Amino acid sequence: MKERVLVAMSGGVDSSVAAAMLVRAGYDVVGATMKLYRDGAEVPDKPCCSLDSVNDARRICEKLGVPHYVLNLETAFGHDVVDDFVNEYANGRTPIPCVRCNTFTKFRDLVVKADGIDAKYVATGHYARIVDGALHRGADANKDQTYFLWGIDRSALSRMILPIGEMTKPETRALAEELGLHLVAQKPESQEICFVPDGNYAAILEQKLGADAPSLSPGPFVTNDGTVVGTHDGFARFTIGQRRGLPGGYAAPIFVTAIRPADRAVVVGPREELLGRGLVVREANWLASPMPSLGDRVGVRVRHRSPIAAAEIVRVEGAEVELALDEPVAAIAPGQSAVFYDGTRVLGGGVIEQAMGTRPARPARAALPLLEHRG
Amino acid sequence: MTGSLSVPYISTMNDPIYLDHAATTPVRAEVLAAMEPYFGVRFGNPSSAHRWGREARAALDEARERVARCLGAHPDELCFTSGGTEGDNLAILGGWRVLKDKGRNAVVTSPIEHKAVLASVHKAAAEGAEERMLTVDATGTVTMDSAHALVRDDTALCSVMWVNNEIGTIQPIEALANHCHTVGAIFHTDAVQAFGKVEVDARKIPFDFLSISGHKIGAPKGSGAMFIRRGTPLEPLFFGGSQDRGRRPGTENVAYAVALATAAELTMAEHDAEGARLGKLRDRLQAGIVAAIPDAVVHGRDAKRATHVLNVSIPGTDSESMLMALDLQGVSASGGSACQSGSIEPSHVLRALGVRADIAGAAIRMSVGSLTTDAAIDRVIHVFSALALKARGLSAV
Repeated sequence: MKERVLVAMSGGVDSSVAAAMLVRAGYDVVGATMKLYRDGAEVPDKPCCSLDSVNDARRICEKLGVPHYVLNLETAFGHDVVDDFVNEYANGRTPIPCVRCNTFTKFRDLVVKADGIDAKYVATGHYARIVDGALHRGADANKDQTYFLWGIDRSALSRMILPIGEMTKPETRALAEELGLHLVAQKPESQEICFVPDGNYAAILEQKLGADAPSLSPGPFVTNDGTVVGTHDGFARFTIGQRRGLPGGYAAPIFVTAIRPADRAVVVGPREELLGRGLVVREANWLASPMPSLGDRVGVRVRHRSPIAAAEIVRVEGAEVELALDEPVAAIAPGQSAVFYDGTRVLGGGVIEQAMGTRPARPARAALPLLEHRG
Repeated sequence: MTGSLSVPYISTMNDPIYLDHAATTPVRAEVLAAMEPYFGVRFGNPSSAHRWGREARAALDEARERVARCLGAHPDELCFTSGGTEGDNLAILGGWRVLKDKGRNAVVTSPIEHKAVLASVHKAAAEGAEERMLTVDATGTVTMDSAHALVRDDTALCSVMWVNNEIGTIQPIEALANHCHTVGAIFHTDAVQAFGKVEVDARKIPFDFLSISGHKIGAPKGSGAMFIRRGTPLEPLFFGGSQDRGRRPGTENVAYAVALATAAELTMAEHDAEGARLGKLRDRLQAGIVAAIPDAVVHGRDAKRATHVLNVSIPGTDSESMLMALDLQGVSASGGSACQSGSIEPSHVLRALGVRADIAGAAIRMSVGSLTTDAAIDRVIHVFSALALKARGLSAV
C-alpha cells in the first residue's frame, strides 16, 4: 500500500516540483491549496481569492494525475497570522507572518487535515531538509527557508517531507521543465507577504486598526539623547535599520534604531547605535533534543539571509531566552525571529523581544530551569 | 457488479459513485444522438431563408413546441436561454426594469435562493430597486405571512425557487403566485431543481416567469429555457436581432434547443417512476446514515422535500474534510456552495434557516439521480458512516 502524503500547493514552481517528485517516488499524493484570505474588496457574492494560484495548482495536479482540493483555512489564518501581524506592528515591532503560518497553518492545521484523509505525511516546497528527524538548512544557501520554520511543533518533524530541500532554485526550475511542468517552471518568485500582495502593509493596518490608530498617527523622530528632529506619520510605517523616510541633513547616514510605542517615538541615529551585542527572545521553541541549555554556544540568525553569528545562551526562563553575541550584529529588530543553529541543524528559535547595546553576561550563580517544549 | 455505473469514462476509477446530480448530470445518449445532426448536416441558421435555414428553423420551432408541451405552455411563451442563471437574470432584471417607473420599484425574494437570483436582485437594488427578503422558517420553507407583508401593490416582482438546490425543500409556489396576482406583481420561480422532480404545469399554477436548466436533466451545460406567460412585460438583457421575438437576440443554438426538448420529454415520460425510485434511494440513504449516526442532522426533514436531495450534517465534523475523505474513497458529493476557487463557503441557505454555524459547516449534500444504483447506496451508507465516525474521533482528541 502506497503511503499517502498531503502536499501543500501554492501554484508555484517549488511546491509543484515537490508534488511531482513525490509522485515519481511512488507516494499516494493528494494536493491541497489553502485559501487563507480574501483578495481585495470583500464582495458578498464573489468570495474568491488567489484564483490563478488555485487554478495553476489544480492544473499541475491534473497533469500529475492526483486529486486536488482547496482547503478554506481563512478563519484560523485570520486570527493566528493576520491578527498577530497587525498587533505586532501596532506595538512597534516588525512581525514575520510566514513564521506563524508555518507553525500554525501549515504544520498544525494542515496536519489535522492530513489525519482526516489518513495521510501519513505533509509535504511542502520549502528549501529546508529533514535529516534523521532533525530540521536542517536547505542545500541552496541563498534559498534556505529554515529561518521561517523554527516555530513548528517538534512532533510535526516526523510527519514532514521537504522534497526540494536538497536542490538549488535553478535545479528546481530545471527539474520542473524536465517533468513537463511548463506552466510553473519559470514562474517569477513571490517576494511579498501573501496577504499583502502589493507590498503595502500599511494599507492592511489602516483597514484593521483604523487610519487614526496611534501606530499610524504622527509622532516625533528623536535621537538617542531625546532631541526631537522631526515628525513622522506613524511608527508602524518604520522598522529597525530603515533609512528611507527619515529627516535629512546629517553628515553620515542615519537609521531607525528603536521604536517606542509609549510616546510614539521613532528613534534615529548613526550606524553604531544599530549594533546589538545581545538579545532576548520570547516564545522560544526547541526542535533539537536534548534541548540547548545555559552556557551552550549556538549560531544565531536574526534576519532572513543575514550571516549566522556566534552566540552564547546566557539566560533561560521558560520560553524567554537571552543570548550574548561574540561580535556586534546590526539591526536586531523586535518582532523578527532569532533562529538558533548548530552547523546546518536548526536547534530552535524565538521572537526577538529586545536587542541589547551591551553584551549580557551569564549570571554567576547559574540556575538551570527546565526548558519546556511548547505545547 | 457493486456500485457499477453506466458511464464508462467514470467507472474506470475504482468504481466511483456520483452523488451530485443536483450539480449536474451526464448528457443522455438519446439527447446526444438527437442534437448531433445540428452540428453537422443540419447546420443552418434558423433565420436564413434558404433550405438550410428552413430546416434549422423547423427543428427550432419543433423543439420550442416540445418544451412548451412539457411545461403546459404555449410555444410563444418559451424562450431558449443558456441555462438557469440567464433565465433568473432575465426574469428579475427584465421584469423590474419594465415596472420600476410605473410605481412598482420593490423586488422581493427569499434568502435561500440560488446566487443567480440573489445577485440579480442585488443588482436591481444597486440600480435603485427596493430589495425585500421573505422569511424562511426553520424547516426551510418560505412563510406566506412574510409574502403577504412584503409583496404589495408597490412590488414589481417576487422570485422564489420551486425546489431548494441545497436541501430540496419545496416552496409554496401556488400560494405565492396567487398572492402576487392579487397585488398585481410578477411572480418568477427558479425551477432548475424542480423540473422533473415535482409537477411543473403552467396551466395549473399561475407563475409568470419560470427558468429551467438543461444540464440538470441530461441535456448539455449551457442549455436552458425560460417560460414567459403571455402578456407579462419583460425588457431583454441583450440587444440585436429579432430572434426569439427580440426577447433573446442572437443566433439560436438549435442543437441545444433540440437537446433540451429531447431531455425534457424523456424526463416527463419517466417522471413518476423515476421520482419514486429516487425517493426510495434517498430515503434509504438517509435512514442508513441516521441509523449509524443517530445525532445526524437532516436539513429540511420537516418540510416537503423533493426526492433527490439529502443534506446532512454530522456534528463534530466539517464538510471540507468529509468531502475530501469521501472523494478519496470514490464518493462524490458536495458541500454548501462551492465558490469559484473550489473551496467550500458556509451555506447561506443553512444560515437563513438558523442552523448553528458548526452544524452548517458540517453539511454534506448528496443528490441521487440517473447514475444511482441500489448497490451504490449500500456502499455510500457504509463509507459515509465510517468516515464520519472516524472524523469525529479525530476532532475529539
